[in-house]
Amino acid sequence: MTAVLHTSDPVLTAFADDVGTDGPVAIEGARTRWSLGGPLDDSARILTAPTGVVEYTPEEMIVTVRAGTTVADLHSELATKGQWTALPERGGTVGGAVAVGQNDFRRPARGEVRTSVLQVRYVSAEGRIVSGGGPTVKNVSGFDIPRLITGSLGTLGCIAEVILRTNPIPAIERWFASDDTDPFAVHAALLAPGAILWDGTTTTVQLVGHGVDVDADVTVLTSHGSFVEVEPPEAPSGERWSLAPADLPAVPELGIGPFVAEVGVGIVHAATPQVREPLDPGVRLIHERMKNEFDPAGRLNPGRVVGAH
Amino acid sequence: MSLIERLRSTLPGGPPAPSGDPLLDELRVALSPDRVKVDGAQRSLLGKDASVFDGGNSGPICYPTSTDEVAAIMRIAEAHGRAVVPRGAGTGLAGGAIPLGGPVVIAVTKMNKILEIDEENGVAWVEPGVINLDLTRHLQPLGYHFAPDPSSQQVCTIGGNVANNSGGPHCLAYGVTNAHVAALEIVTAEGEIVMLGGLDAEPDGYDLRGVFVGSEGTLGITTKIAVTLTRNRPAVRTLLLSFESTRDAANTVSGVVAAGIVPAAMEVMDQRITQAVENYVNAGYPTDAGAVLLAEVDGPEAGIDIDAERIRDIGLENNATDVRFAQDDAERAALWKGRKTAFGAVAQIAPDYYLHDTVVPRSKLADVLDEIYAIADRHDVLVMNVFHAGDGNLHPLLIFDGREPGVLDRIHAAGGDIITASLDAGGVLSGEHGIGVEKQKYMDRLFTDDDLDHQNRLRRAFDPVCRANPGKVLPMGHSCADIQHLRSVPAEVWG
Amino acid sequence: MDLKLDADDLNTCVQCGLCLPHCPTFRVTGDEAKSPRGRIHLMREVQNNDAPLTDEVIDSFETCVQCRGCEPACPSNVPYGHLMEQARETLADAGEMTPTWQRLAFKPLANPTMLQAGSSALAVAQRFKLVPKRLGISEELPIRRKPLTPTGNDVYFFTGCVMDAWQRDVHAAGMRVLEAAGIGSIPTNELAPCCGALHAHAGMAEDTRNLAGTMMANLDPDKPILVDSAGCGAAMKDYGHLLGTDEAKAFSARVFDIQEYLADHVDSLPEVEPLDLRVAVQDPCHLRHVQRVHQATRTVLAPFVRELVELDDDGLCCGAGGAYSVLQPELAGDIRDRKVAAIDRVTPDAVASANPGCSMHLGAAGVPTIHPMELVAQALDRGPKR
Repeated sequence: MTAVLHTSDPVLTAFADDVGTDGPVAIEGARTRWSLGGPLDDSARILTAPTGVVEYTPEEMIVTVRAGTTVADLHSELATKGQWTALPERGGTVGGAVAVGQNDFRRPARGEVRTSVLQVRYVSAEGRIVSGGGPTVKNVSGFDIPRLITGSLGTLGCIAEVILRTNPIPAIERWFASDDTDPFAVHAALLAPGAILWDGTTTTVQLVGHGVDVDADVTVLTSHGSFVEVEPPEAPSGERWSLAPADLPAVPELGIGPFVAEVGVGIVHAATPQVREPLDPGVRLIHERMKNEFDPAGRLNPGRVVGAH
Repeated sequence: MSLIERLRSTLPGGPPAPSGDPLLDELRVALSPDRVKVDGAQRSLLGKDASVFDGGNSGPICYPTSTDEVAAIMRIAEAHGRAVVPRGAGTGLAGGAIPLGGPVVIAVTKMNKILEIDEENGVAWVEPGVINLDLTRHLQPLGYHFAPDPSSQQVCTIGGNVANNSGGPHCLAYGVTNAHVAALEIVTAEGEIVMLGGLDAEPDGYDLRGVFVGSEGTLGITTKIAVTLTRNRPAVRTLLLSFESTRDAANTVSGVVAAGIVPAAMEVMDQRITQAVENYVNAGYPTDAGAVLLAEVDGPEAGIDIDAERIRDIGLENNATDVRFAQDDAERAALWKGRKTAFGAVAQIAPDYYLHDTVVPRSKLADVLDEIYAIADRHDVLVMNVFHAGDGNLHPLLIFDGREPGVLDRIHAAGGDIITASLDAGGVLSGEHGIGVEKQKYMDRLFTDDDLDHQNRLRRAFDPVCRANPGKVLPMGHSCADIQHLRSVPAEVWG
Repeated sequence: MDLKLDADDLNTCVQCGLCLPHCPTFRVTGDEAKSPRGRIHLMREVQNNDAPLTDEVIDSFETCVQCRGCEPACPSNVPYGHLMEQARETLADAGEMTPTWQRLAFKPLANPTMLQAGSSALAVAQRFKLVPKRLGISEELPIRRKPLTPTGNDVYFFTGCVMDAWQRDVHAAGMRVLEAAGIGSIPTNELAPCCGALHAHAGMAEDTRNLAGTMMANLDPDKPILVDSAGCGAAMKDYGHLLGTDEAKAFSARVFDIQEYLADHVDSLPEVEPLDLRVAVQDPCHLRHVQRVHQATRTVLAPFVRELVELDDDGLCCGAGGAYSVLQPELAGDIRDRKVAAIDRVTPDAVASANPGCSMHLGAAGVPTIHPMELVAQALDRGPKR
């Protein structure tokens, strides 16, 4: 009897053969976040993941896509049915975005990467195709392998294919900016803004939803400051700080130069890198054991360590 | 017990009298004698949860009140080579909380404090024994709620929600428990206190917090949880659509999702259960309809009717015979009361029921439902269907009288066929009840040996000693310690 | 051991656990052996599997308040109250529960003269501060009581035992309100000395059956019997089940809680200036969970006070439980703490409770508790609306 999640897709099988069973190996996407986790060991063979949208069922709001596909290609196909995913569009691949696990700068509107990966297939350190999760939007069958793989920087397995939850693109998206408002008061006043960005002076707000809902939110905005409609901003670049939402009002006092903060979320984009605390010893121990369980010989993405600072 | 002994046992202070069992003595010193129970009747009581499975007598039952006490219990259990099973309200339906091999039970019901509401960070810190509905009620005056709302929400604990990654009708729009946990303090099977996740936007490291949620107590026990606060929506519309067939209702659900609408909830009840519910609570459900769809949208006031009216139209396109909007809060509450007391209504028909839980692609709902009715006929059992249609989460209820000879065999056979039918339709084993001991034997129908091997590696990274709720989730042969290796305890040890 | 429990009734529970949060002893202990599901499991173990009657098992049964808050929460309609009463009766008969001193203590309830004398003695002792605090008696007991006299011939007004001895003013207020609605009442006094509720709770059902027989023999069979104590009313409405005779069933059908009866006659009451009070309604368990007529209290009370407020605890028991607060003072106190916290959250001027046990138990914790009939009577005494 064949397990439901068993795959004999020749494309994936070929990728598994490429990964093989020994020798250091790393998967490259578009190298947009190539330095995360530390420098790659020179010994690693560099491969690319297979590409292509395997199956898209808009009425199920799921898409099966191979890891080497670019997020832009995926989203342009989904857009034909008025949908998108939580993956950020930063020039990278689906596999890269899942391996990195960072969210789009419009996270409230787009959703979180970690909750949108329903199923993952990866090639293990033993060269086997392993599947975790499942193709349905709701699933508690067994351990949550997709959560483990998302954000694992390719250190536990070579991501080959994922099933992602898709979301409807809102009817209306509009951006407004103001120099004389309190972004935190705006955050408290709006029910569900798409994004609130703040650089210490200017507050830029994305409103999403039905036209009438957006109109109602505009009224709320204008009661908090002199907002004017603006073009959608570029995705903020630079170093990425991860703070708690309540830490954001004090960011200007950190002296980190120009910044863009995602209000209500806690991400801050700045020129200088965040100095992060090392992992708690108890957490680090589980990390080390996890890596050792999944990749005892240390052949996957050698040099890269998740959570190392 | 003599009167003197009884009086002595109630006196405060002083070390407890030795029992002759070192494990018990150490636990009693670590907690207090009155918070470690070994009475035979109590241990048989905790042998069960809300499922049909019986784990036999548990070992000592501990009622800790702090993280440090939980850690002490874990260390003592490990030193004595004993497994540990966490327990909240014992409402699980897959046997996840039953004790296998006489483990030490950690009941978290005394760890029931809401520790802090942190509005700035959008979280509440709670202890695991806090009851789901108590938390939501506590948050209501502040304008928030805890989004997961399982049917057992009036009794189930947040710790249990974390262990099972609980859902509920309103998880369609808001997501299940895993989307609502920011950080977790856990105690590992080795007695280490570890904080997973954090309040910052993207905590460092592997998403161990996400992995822990839904792990059914096999990765350790949670002692403190930061749950995210969900803002109450200012407007809500509740619609009741009637259909001649469950197929039409199911097609409406697929149509709504395909139209890009994500309602707060979409629940379907077939005619049998609708009649039972109406009989039971008089909520105003049509008893002549072949199926009803209870749909709810919520959000800002301005655009609330747009989605509600589109759902109505899609229903009419799919042959809805009647569409009713709840006119006020009372009508809405009555409809939801009907939905949430469905299982009670069933008890009026026969004393026992077996509630199944599988997920299928939404577009396959109608086909799988037809198959389920056929399966029930084939095994001569009565089935009723009430389910979270919006996310394809089926809950067939097999209704029976357990005293009828041979009926359980037919119930289990029908259940197996339902699981097979769901998997064949591209579905999964469980949407919200978990695997527990109920569906272990079906795990290899969904996953390959390699898949299960990797799940076991994940588990070992947290619990290499294999003492956290062993014998659950992973099938025999794929678990780090098969249950028969655990030292089971003779019944007479604690009388 | 055969607890003599009905096998079908015992089989009804499917262990879903929905009763747990509605059980006051589970709420304060977190111990499943002190929950309805746990107690039913233990009953099954004892009756079906011959499990030994350990101290823990007896304690599990003894600590049940018998508030029956679990019954409305139960999707399977398990007749928990009857199971627990039967279990206690069997265990008491076997000498496993309800020791002799307790049995003797309940005896005077059926004898008004003895009870009144004893109560007066207690009142005198109270003046001299000789009454132990654990008895939970807060208000000053009356040393002398004004006798109640009939106001007409429409209905019986059940006066009972302890309440008549300690809270006759409440009876007077109830009769006064009935009179204002044009309903004349006959106080039952020695015609019906005691309802037997406390006996049934303690497993002394035979005493209850005897008391029921006396009452049914003494009362005219076509008059409604109004009761202003929720516990007594619930017990009397259960005579039909307890005695199983048609006569008893007909009797039970004539029993009404006074608020329940007045709710249908509220329009007959004069319109008066409401009392300037914010009143929290504390539903006695035997009114809410057993008789299930607690809404009537609101209907009757609303016109006579400025504001009615609801507690947010789903009608969880206050811990009084008849004699429970005396027999299990520690648990009763813990349960009351939860109730007092719920009351504090709604900041009322007064708490209305239609059961003497609840009002005394809450009163002992300093909560200003008053019977709804006394509030209505006070408002009526202030005269017509200006």
